Amino acid sequence: MTNSLGDIQKSKAIIIFGANPAVNHPVGFQHFLKAQELNNSKLIVIDPRFTKTAAKADLYAQIRPGTDIPFMYGMLNIIFKNGWEDKEYVDARVFGMDKIREEAAKWTPEVVADVTGVPADTLIQITTLYAKNRPGTLIWAMGLTQHTIGTSNTRMAPILQLALGNMGRAGGGTNILRGHDNVQGATDMGCLADSLPGYYGLAAGSWKYFAKSWGVDYDYLVKQFKDASWMEKNGFSLARWWAGVQNVKSDEKIENAGTPLKALLVFGNGITSVAQQAKIKEGLDNLDMLVLADPFVNEAAILTDKKDNVFILPAATQFETSGLVVATNRSAQWRYKVVEPMYESKPDQEIMFELAKRLGFYEQYTKGMLMQETKDGKLETIPGKTNFTWPEDATNEIARIIKTIGLTGWTAERVKKHTDNWHMFDEVSGAGIGPMKGEFYGLPWPCWTKTHGGSPNLYDTSIPVSEGGMGFRNNFGLEKDGVNLLAEKGSFPKGSKIETGYPEITKENIEKVLGITLSEEEKAACGANWKVDNSGILVQKALEAGVCPYGNAKARAIVWNFPDHIPMHREPLHSPRTDLVAKYPAYPDKANHFRVMTKYISVQSAQDYAKEFPINMVTGRLVTMNGAGIENRASKYIAALTPEMFCHIHPDLALKHGIKNGTMMWVHSPEGTKIKVKAKYSYSVLPDMVFMPFHFAGYFQGTDRTGNFPAGTKPYASGESVNTVTNYGYDIITQIPETKGGLCRIEKA
Amino acid sequence: MKKYLYMFIATLALASAAFAVDSQIWGEMRIQNILGYGQEESLKLGPLFTMLQHHYFAWIFLGILIGVPGAFFLHYKIIGPKVFPHSEKKYYAFNLYNRIIHQIAAISFIVIVPTGFVIVFGDFFGGGMFVRFCKNLHGLFTVPFTIVVIPMALMWLKEALFNLDDVKWFMILGGYLSKEKKPILAGKFNAGQKMWYWVAILGGITMILSGAFMFFLDFKMEMLHNLTGMSQIDMLRAAAIIHNVMGFAVVALFITHVYMSMFAIKGAVQSIITGYVEEEEVKILHSTWYKKLKNQGKF
Amino acid sequence: MEYARMKFYCDEHRCIECDGCSVACAEAHELPVGIARRKVITINEGIPGKEFSTSIACMHCTDAPCEQVCPVDCFYIREDGIVLHDKEKCIGCGYCLYACPFGAPQFPREGIFGAKGAMDKCTMCAGGPLETNSEKERHLYGQNRIAEGKVPVCAAMCSTKALLVGDSESVSAIIRTRVSSRAKGASNPLVWDKAYKNQ
Repeated sequence: MTNSLGDIQKSKAIIIFGANPAVNHPVGFQHFLKAQELNNSKLIVIDPRFTKTAAKADLYAQIRPGTDIPFMYGMLNIIFKNGWEDKEYVDARVFGMDKIREEAAKWTPEVVADVTGVPADTLIQITTLYAKNRPGTLIWAMGLTQHTIGTSNTRMAPILQLALGNMGRAGGGTNILRGHDNVQGATDMGCLADSLPGYYGLAAGSWKYFAKSWGVDYDYLVKQFKDASWMEKNGFSLARWWAGVQNVKSDEKIENAGTPLKALLVFGNGITSVAQQAKIKEGLDNLDMLVLADPFVNEAAILTDKKDNVFILPAATQFETSGLVVATNRSAQWRYKVVEPMYESKPDQEIMFELAKRLGFYEQYTKGMLMQETKDGKLETIPGKTNFTWPEDATNEIARIIKTIGLTGWTAERVKKHTDNWHMFDEVSGAGIGPMKGEFYGLPWPCWTKTHGGSPNLYDTSIPVSEGGMGFRNNFGLEKDGVNLLAEKGSFPKGSKIETGYPEITKENIEKVLGITLSEEEKAACGANWKVDNSGILVQKALEAGVCPYGNAKARAIVWNFPDHIPMHREPLHSPRTDLVAKYPAYPDKANHFRVMTKYISVQSAQDYAKEFPINMVTGRLVTMNGAGIENRASKYIAALTPEMFCHIHPDLALKHGIKNGTMMWVHSPEGTKIKVKAKYSYSVLPDMVFMPFHFAGYFQGTDRTGNFPAGTKPYASGESVNTVTNYGYDIITQIPETKGGLCRIEKA
Repeated sequence: MKKYLYMFIATLALASAAFAVDSQIWGEMRIQNILGYGQEESLKLGPLFTMLQHHYFAWIFLGILIGVPGAFFLHYKIIGPKVFPHSEKKYYAFNLYNRIIHQIAAISFIVIVPTGFVIVFGDFFGGGMFVRFCKNLHGLFTVPFTIVVIPMALMWLKEALFNLDDVKWFMILGGYLSKEKKPILAGKFNAGQKMWYWVAILGGITMILSGAFMFFLDFKMEMLHNLTGMSQIDMLRAAAIIHNVMGFAVVALFITHVYMSMFAIKGAVQSIITGYVEEEEVKILHSTWYKKLKNQGKF
Repeated sequence: MEYARMKFYCDEHRCIECDGCSVACAEAHELPVGIARRKVITINEGIPGKEFSTSIACMHCTDAPCEQVCPVDCFYIREDGIVLHDKEKCIGCGYCLYACPFGAPQFPREGIFGAKGAMDKCTMCAGGPLETNSEKERHLYGQNRIAEGKVPVCAAMCSTKALLVGDSESVSAIIRTRVSSRAKGASNPLVWDKAYKNQ
């Protein structure tokens, strides 16, 4: 999220692609409604389903799943044709918009109407309304990301915003809604298979920086791997780990240092809400050991047929532990413990500490918490400190190490102070008042130093860096094919000493870029660049000059290291429009994609799916539940509201198959899996589409598995997991499953 | 016959058990229920019921409770009861089956009617335990009546059909307004009894059904919804109005029936206890029947 | 002294059918499953331009019809307008339900024949006629938050602040502000452009 939920109140227009905040972010949706009320803001919703959010919209377009890129190109087509783009902004701050313009020219409203199913008039109306009401903010969630072209989708949306000059403005930006509590924090901490914490990546330099910061030898870390080369390779992802499990039948080649997966530890992840449940079940069944740490019984234990070596550890809830959590707008908040862990449950970190002790690396694991940076850029054990205090010392360790996104200011003390004094901040902008003046609530990152007040909106050049201003990041060199990648003259954060673009600050270039000289001591203390500078001098000097440490560059519309340099439309692997598949084919199959060969074109071209599976299938959330839904289904009042798994189906479609409202129906997937669910008539879906929530588990392909629950743990509601029938398909970069575009066949049960 | 009744009761019980799952009142239907309230095109049963219950029902019941016995008291004082010698020949008119059926219905009524009054004047009795107990008795004693109402209807149907005699009977109000003892045209049942028969049977069934509706509150009657186009709540309102209005008639005639058998015609009540009717009584009050019996040589 | 009347109001422009109010209510008062003192209803679901939701409970009517029809007179209206009833007096006849325009009165089932128990409905978190905050009051009527100076739990938990509660004047003042700022739609520059520039 570049801005914040409160900032949405400042928008003149809000356009939502593939998100349903009225259901998934009911409290946050207040800001959307207030924008409508107080700011006369226009709400536009693009979604395959007439959602609760759409019900509040001024304009709504019912789009075919997976065609957001054509829709946005269609908008750009109209914008460019009418000259509504912010030319000055694009020239000074965007690289490669001309290529976008070329592609957009192909997407006339008529072409877009054919591909997306949205009438040309509606597209024109929406584009006009959105372009004429600026600043406009663009919202998205899983509706954009969970596609084979998810990465392209998420590039397309900022490009649209860049064209309109909406990025880096209050009331503008791209605001991506996070699905769970502290997802932003989990992402920042690198709970991913392709990066160290803080988006440092997996390069040797990053490992060395972390080794140093943790106070362990780099060689020690290397020894934990088969060899150093495996340190720098992506691991298995959450979406496809099962492909690497021993004895799982698959024709997809695994590259995992010659060994299959044998054990799985799951910490609070509802893996029953991930695509390809049948394969996940096969993966679970073939493990040697499965450990599930969760406050509730993780339904993976219910899904698997495995009888031995399945361990269910009672983890404590968020109310039984404390620590820092990160909100969707990159701001931190302290969470205090409400009660001591109940019964025999333990907080996650204690389970991990115990594990580390038994595996023999507890000392290395916790050493970072005992260390501090010295003024001369060295690291030392805090004199006299032998024990750490959880979670304050962990928080301070994070603040000390993670510089890429500017967490330096997030000391436990400061974050607690904000949480304790939350009444001293403006509800809308988050700006502090009274004693908290000059700081923004939760110090939204980048919070460059221990005195910096946080940055409410990313890429906003209208305010000084010291107050949260910045240009775009310089991360991809200084020029590409002879074109300057830095911002043009005149585009810079307010109050900057440099009134044009500049590169990120390194030890090498700081004197030249800032026009200063460093003393010899300073030079000796500096790290190679601001991201690995333990002394903090580089950041300090940059801020003094009103300069952003990460540089001031252009945003890239062209990403030359991705398969599609500019976002291109590609039909879903299972497309209902076979006629368009040839024109907009999927990617070539990708070997070693998070260690497993991942298919694209070979699946898409294998057969004419639309013939046998003519119905679009979309999945999503219910307001009563989140994630895999186990804790919600274990609440009797919530379970009473949604007591069983269902399928929203248009009466026209249902009656064609003889399915009556409230009766059972089968949903079949092209993979040969099926689920039995209750039909619920709804006009919110088109007659060629069904919608199902993904919060249920406990049943598998028509069989009741709830007998597997340990006594007394069965939730009030159980049902089929829709992910048993979501189709094969994974994003080309992130490997997120394509659950928001797939096909199915239905029949009366 | 009884089998069906048991099934009916069982269905009601089951339907009420299932209410929480698929409520017609608080579930999906609630929207229709709310929208239907007081709308132009609706029957406006909500406001109608509120108005009737708020202003009229209790007063009318009070009127009946005081007025009808009061009128009979005056009748008793001014005109007096009819007294027939009980030494004459008797005729066995009601067999054991008739009497058992009647007695079951009678006991039911003896409980249902007073408890009904307790409910109507619930505030007088202070609500709470006692009234709730009466309400439950009111429902409970509907069960025996439900069982016998059809057999009773069948066993007396032939005698209860109206004919020309009844017109004449009505013109002189059965001769109850005079002290004279001249034969009055009537079959086994006179027009007044027939009227009571129909009110007790048809009214009784109406009371059972409307009462069941209110008692069970929330059972699925899709057929009725489709037939009437009414929502569940409107059917409940209709049931409450019907139950009260029909109550007026049933109660009024019940009191009459009691007065006639117990007071107006001395010893008449014996006939339904023993089964034997007195010749003199039949001769005067049921002269047509008397002639018929006489011809058959029954006396 | 003239008391202002306490009222609920659900702003259907804001209500998103999240059911936060009804779950909060059930949880706070520990209601049996199947008793919904408060319920969110959606009209014309799935139909663009016509769908809206609102939260319904006892609306604490000024001329409460339930109070008018009760045969045992178990209802009473507090000085602040909150309509309450005495569960120990109630006989579960159902008349209040027939009179209520909102389907607010709820009846739990008791006994084998499914006789209706004492009526249960929204108390605006004001308990009942028993001793304030006594265990018996909590058991029969749920929390008495009003006595503690708290907002009824439904409105407190409303995620979009669609559900308002308070004396009728302050509620209508809030709604007036919302409606009047919404009405500023008339000064939408796009509209004025059309009206003046293009002609």
